[in-house]
Amino acid sequence: MPLTLHAADLPTLSRGFALLGSGGGGSPHVAQLILAQSDGWPIAVHSIEELEPATPCVAVGYIGSTLLLEERLPDGEPFMPAIAAIERWLGVDTSAVCSIEGAGLNGLSTLQLAPHRAIVDADCMGRALPDLDQISLLVDALPGLVAATPTGAGGVALVHGARPEDVERVLRTATSCNGGWAGFALGGFHVGDLVDHAIPGGIERAQTLGQAMLAADALRPEELATSLHGSLLGVGRVVASTPEPGTAGAHSYDVRTDGADVLRLVARSEFIALVCNGTVVAASPTIIAVLDTVSRAALQVDELAVGKDVIIIGLPAAAWWRSDSRRLARARPSRWGIVGLEEVC
Amino acid sequence: MLSAGLTLEALLEHQDAGGLTVVSGSEGSWATVAVEVREQDLPDSVTDGLAVIVMPAPAVSWQTDALVRRVRDRGFTGLALTGEPMGAGSRALAERLGVLVMHVDHPTRLARACWQLLEARDALTLSTVQKIARSIEYQAHDLGDLLAHVAANVGHGIALIDREGVLQGAGDPVPDSVLRSIDFGHWLDIAESSEGFAASVPVASRSRHGLRIALHGRNAGIVHRNALATAVEVLMPIVAARLLVDEVESVSDVSRSSGLLGDFLESHGGLNPEVEQRMLARGWRVSGYHLGFRMVGRGRVDPMELLRLLTSKLALLPVDSHATTRGAGVTGWLTVAHAPTAAQLAHHIRALHELHASALSTFPIATGVGSLRSGSDGLATTLGEARDAARLATDRARAGWFVSIDSLGLEQLLLSWTSSDTFAPAAQSLLGPLSETERHTLAAYLDEESSVLATANRLGLHRNTVSGRIQRIQAALGADLSDPETRLALQLACRVSRG
Repeated sequence: MPLTLHAADLPTLSRGFALLGSGGGGSPHVAQLILAQSDGWPIAVHSIEELEPATPCVAVGYIGSTLLLEERLPDGEPFMPAIAAIERWLGVDTSAVCSIEGAGLNGLSTLQLAPHRAIVDADCMGRALPDLDQISLLVDALPGLVAATPTGAGGVALVHGARPEDVERVLRTATSCNGGWAGFALGGFHVGDLVDHAIPGGIERAQTLGQAMLAADALRPEELATSLHGSLLGVGRVVASTPEPGTAGAHSYDVRTDGADVLRLVARSEFIALVCNGTVVAASPTIIAVLDTVSRAALQVDELAVGKDVIIIGLPAAAWWRSDSRRLARARPSRWGIVGLEEVC
Repeated sequence: MLSAGLTLEALLEHQDAGGLTVVSGSEGSWATVAVEVREQDLPDSVTDGLAVIVMPAPAVSWQTDALVRRVRDRGFTGLALTGEPMGAGSRALAERLGVLVMHVDHPTRLARACWQLLEARDALTLSTVQKIARSIEYQAHDLGDLLAHVAANVGHGIALIDREGVLQGAGDPVPDSVLRSIDFGHWLDIAESSEGFAASVPVASRSRHGLRIALHGRNAGIVHRNALATAVEVLMPIVAARLLVDEVESVSDVSRSSGLLGDFLESHGGLNPEVEQRMLARGWRVSGYHLGFRMVGRGRVDPMELLRLLTSKLALLPVDSHATTRGAGVTGWLTVAHAPTAAQLAHHIRALHELHASALSTFPIATGVGSLRSGSDGLATTLGEARDAARLATDRARAGWFVSIDSLGLEQLLLSWTSSDTFAPAAQSLLGPLSETERHTLAAYLDEESSVLATANRLGLHRNTVSGRIQRIQAALGADLSDPETRLALQLACRVSRG
């Protein structure tokens, strides 16, 4: 039976997707505002199994700068130019939609398409990741995939059957042409493909996490971590923030606990690792959620600053990433050339 | 891997530990040291080890953290790194894990220092001794220069001491507590206090006794102490030789200046250009006003010793002064550019009297001071006067063995000379055989230039009477009054006995 979402569920979902963002993926706030005005409520969300496997499907999401997106807000149908181009290219109409990134802003963005397409509760990352070649369908190199993104002023760039890294390279450029962010779509697959090549149940997970967060305001950090089915990695204060030389845009936050543990929270566009007393205790794809101790809000990387008190919780990565070393290699810190963050306890 | 026992203090005290500084932690002592190019080459399990890693430390914070953690996990409690300085987070982690972290500019030199302190104790001694040997290669101007070379080369303080304290030193000062605990009775003494230690041995010197040369440093373990103890024994003859060289140099300098003074005096003030040149080279000005003085011994006095004392005291006078040995005494003079007033002159003479008084406490001397004279001739004259005055002073205990020409006229000089403590008794004994009348007659006869007639007129006697008395006097004295020397002696004797 499909999961039915109501407009009142939005804050809960937002909190859940913010946690899954691991400090990245953009704030779900904008998507929440757009969806609040939608007349499609209530929205039915289908599990993969509930839909006919041969249903042509499209995966969508905002790519580019989420900060720019908050400045230049999307219009009514930001994904339609890309979806229309894909449908025209393939000669099929897509009747199902899933998310490229089940975290942050993109966790909610699929719901915008609810009036016209069946929403599939599956996504292609299970967390937030920065690059297009980290989309699970591309990681697994499914044949016949078509990716498209608007280039501004009515133009659309479309790549068909390209290597994953070329999809990233070409459409990243197109995104710049479009003004820094764009509504991306990936087609050329069926709902049935999502069984093996995507991460199912992201919306349900976000809702569960969001509900747990709402119920957990008074819980101690250990209890909070347990209620989120995660592990408490540390509670402390940010005492320093250091750009790390020669390490692919990495930045580290020196967090000290009351017990004098030295925590290094390593970030790029997401939190990608936590080192405790010289030992790596969590690393991408494991989700590292950093919560403000006072508000319990999940913090984005750019919201973390010296002097903030934080609770750091590790949430397990989707099993899909760890099912294959090739998949895992696409999401580990070494993917960005960052060394020394490989081991996870 | 090296093994034995090594402390942080010993490393910090080492002369060349490669620019070691402590980054985190304060105390460290290790049973073993492992030196490796990379951290992963370190032994897997040690107890109380010090790890020295030659490759630069990672610049990335979490990699540094991980390095500290892995090194600790292997059992190391000390870590020496080179490269970028460690950040605050990693330092805090090191402290938490109980790892003393050091930064070193040259890890291989630190490795050598560890090796010397642990495995090759004699190597440290040898290297210290080599450094002392190297100090000799540099030309030292004097003892102070030599000590400075040694202190700089060995990297430890050095001091020449006697029971009163430090005479000369270089490098860090010796802590008082260490100085007090030095035993002057031992050959090799290792003195120790909470502030440090000093290894010292006696130094033989001809001029000074009870000297010791000491190398000192902070407390840094037995290896350092042994090295410094051996080093100070090797150093001792070098210092003793330097003391001797300094003495010989000063003696030879005095002998040159003494020779020059001799040449000048022999020329009787008529300067030849060569002598004048040499005098100028020494800073002896002949222009201006001079006040000569001379000090001679009334017993056995070493003129060099006397000169050494006088030179140090003369340097304190606010006028240009020179002195050198001459014969068995010291001759010197004060020079002023313009004619001094009577009060200034009296002040200078008083200064010389004080000089005399202070020397008198050490040496049995007599001092003569000449009169104020100007120019080259004047210098020769005042020095001649000083010489005569000094000769007079040797007999004048009542004047405190001090005679200044300036206060005497020529006759007074003569009288003062003849009435001296040795001459007066001699005169009495010389004239002893004569009656009072005969003495009177003899004095008149000598005063009247041996003229019998003039004597008779003067005494109101007949000339035959005078002639007869003279015959008797000659017989009584056994003297020949036609001999001028005899006449002079008798005339002076008469003056003294009459006075």
